[in-house]
Parts: sequence; structure tokens; C-alpha cells
Amino acid sequence: MGNVYLITGASSDVGCALIDRLYQPGDVFIAQGANDLKGLGVLCQKYPGAIRTYSVDLTSQQALDAFVQDVQANHPAPTHFIHLPALRVVNTKFKKFDEERFEQDLSVQVRSAVTLSKAFLPAMAKARYGRVLFMLTSYLLGMPPKNTAAYIMVKSALEGLAKSLAADYASFGVTVNCVAPSMMETKFLADTSDLIVQASAEANPMGRNATVEDVVPAMAFLLSEEARFITGVTLPITGGSAL
Amino acid sequence: MDQQSIFDAVQEIFRDNFDDEELVITRQTCAEDIEDWDSLEQINLLTAMEKKFGLKFKLDDVRGLENVGDLLDLIERLTA
Repeated sequence: MGNVYLITGASSDVGCALIDRLYQPGDVFIAQGANDLKGLGVLCQKYPGAIRTYSVDLTSQQALDAFVQDVQANHPAPTHFIHLPALRVVNTKFKKFDEERFEQDLSVQVRSAVTLSKAFLPAMAKARYGRVLFMLTSYLLGMPPKNTAAYIMVKSALEGLAKSLAADYASFGVTVNCVAPSMMETKFLADTSDLIVQASAEANPMGRNATVEDVVPAMAFLLSEEARFITGVTLPITGGSAL
Repeated sequence: MDQQSIFDAVQEIFRDNFDDEELVITRQTCAEDIEDWDSLEQINLLTAMEKKFGLKFKLDDVRGLENVGDLLDLIERLTA
């Protein structure tokens, strides 16, 4: 049997490109998205039967619990868990900090990661094999940009969870790592001003922003058999803009 | 939008952005006059203006801006 990948936020540009990169005959992809599963449709046609899509609202604990139950009942235990979801970044002055949106993002990124890790990591530990990977941001490296408090807090919590899980599961052959890309030009930036995107590209030592093609191979490596002795790390993928 | 309305809206954005309800800008006001007006705040100001006036600035549009007057002229030109 091939690998069983559980990917949350799988309908994102990164999620779709990662599936396309990882696919080997015999693999199963349990692919969660919210609302927009269009990108996954293309992959479902390309790899018939390999991708099981789920539309799950991660702000709802009830929906998340139902998702876990369904996955446990209908699929083999995941060997890989890749956690990508996030609400889009909104640059806001701290005085206008939006508690409600912060709570939503906490649910989408952190509470869901806790629930899914609790549900699936024990089986990985039992099998003495597992790969877990979280999507962070290079904003966590050094001083973050202004006006991103909510995003930074949520990503910091996720990094804390990754490190803790790395410690807890290292002896079971389960690795837990993170990638921290700099600004990546994807549909995730739909709410970000072109000015910010252009200024970020200009400030990057390589003169451009990250692309999906820069990030996905690094993710694939951390998920590979070869990366077996790497755990608890956050890999910057930044073109040198943050170290 | 007439000149005065643009000015009033820009004034409001400056006050909001720099957390200073008393802040008064003129066409001559520049980054040296406002302590916190650094390159990041410049982008925050510009994105707030994009939102307010329904504009999309390009980096080339805003590179040569030296003071509030230049900014007002740019907005006027793009909203004309």
C-alpha cells in the first residue's frame, strides 16, 4: 500500500501543487478544503480514485469532529499529515484588532491542528512512522511586520504545537516540521494590496517573491523518507529575505 | 471627487494611521514631519488610500512621492 496523506487546506495553490508533486500510484490523498474545491477537481480527474475530497468548515468544531469520524471510518490511517489552512492576512492597526476574526483563524489553524493531531498521530506512533508538516510564515523569523498581530499570534501557536509534537513523537519515528515561506504569490494574497506584494518582491535579495514551485519541493523533502532524522525544525524558504 | 473632499479624506487617513486625532497635514507635510512615517507606514497609508478611493497604485506611481501635495495630486489624477 502507498502513503496516506491527510492534507488540510488542500484546495489552496500549495495544496494542489503538493498533491501533484507527491502522487505515486497506490497513494491516497484525504484532501480537505472549504468551499472552493475547484483546483482539486482537476487533480481528481488526473489521478482517478486517489483523491478523496472533503469540504469542511474548520471554524466549526462539530464539522471537524464529523470529518475525523468519517476519515477514521472510511480510510486507512494517515501516514502523513500536512496542515495548510489559514484565513487570509488582513493588515490592521492593533487598535482595530478584530477578536472575532482572530478566534476564527485560531480555529482554522490551531484548534483544527490540535484535533487532527490528537486523532491521527497516535496511530502514526503505533506504526512507528509518520510525517507531519505545518505551514508557517517567514514573518515569524526576526521582527514581524507591523499590523499583523493576529496572524503572528496564530502562526506562533502553531509553531509551538509543532515543536511540542516533535518532542512527544520523536521516539516513535514520527517527525513534525514546518516551512516558513516569505510572501508567496498565490490566490492567498487576494486581499493584499499589489503595493505590498511589489514592495516585498523588491525588498527580497533575490528580487522577487516566493512561488509555489519554490516551496513545494522543500515540503516534499521534509515529508520524504530521507528526512527521517529532521524533526522540530522550521525551514525558511525566503530567498534570503529572513533568516 | 473634488480637491477638498480628497484632502479631508486623506487627512482622516493620516489621523487614523498615526493614532493622532489632532494631526493636521498640509501639502508640504512630508515624512520628516511625522516621527512614525517610515517606509512601512507609507505602504499602510497608501493601502488605506487605495481602499478609500477605490484605486490600485503601482510601485512606480508612488516611488517619487515627496510630500502630501504629491500624494494629493496623484490621487486626483487617478480618480479624475
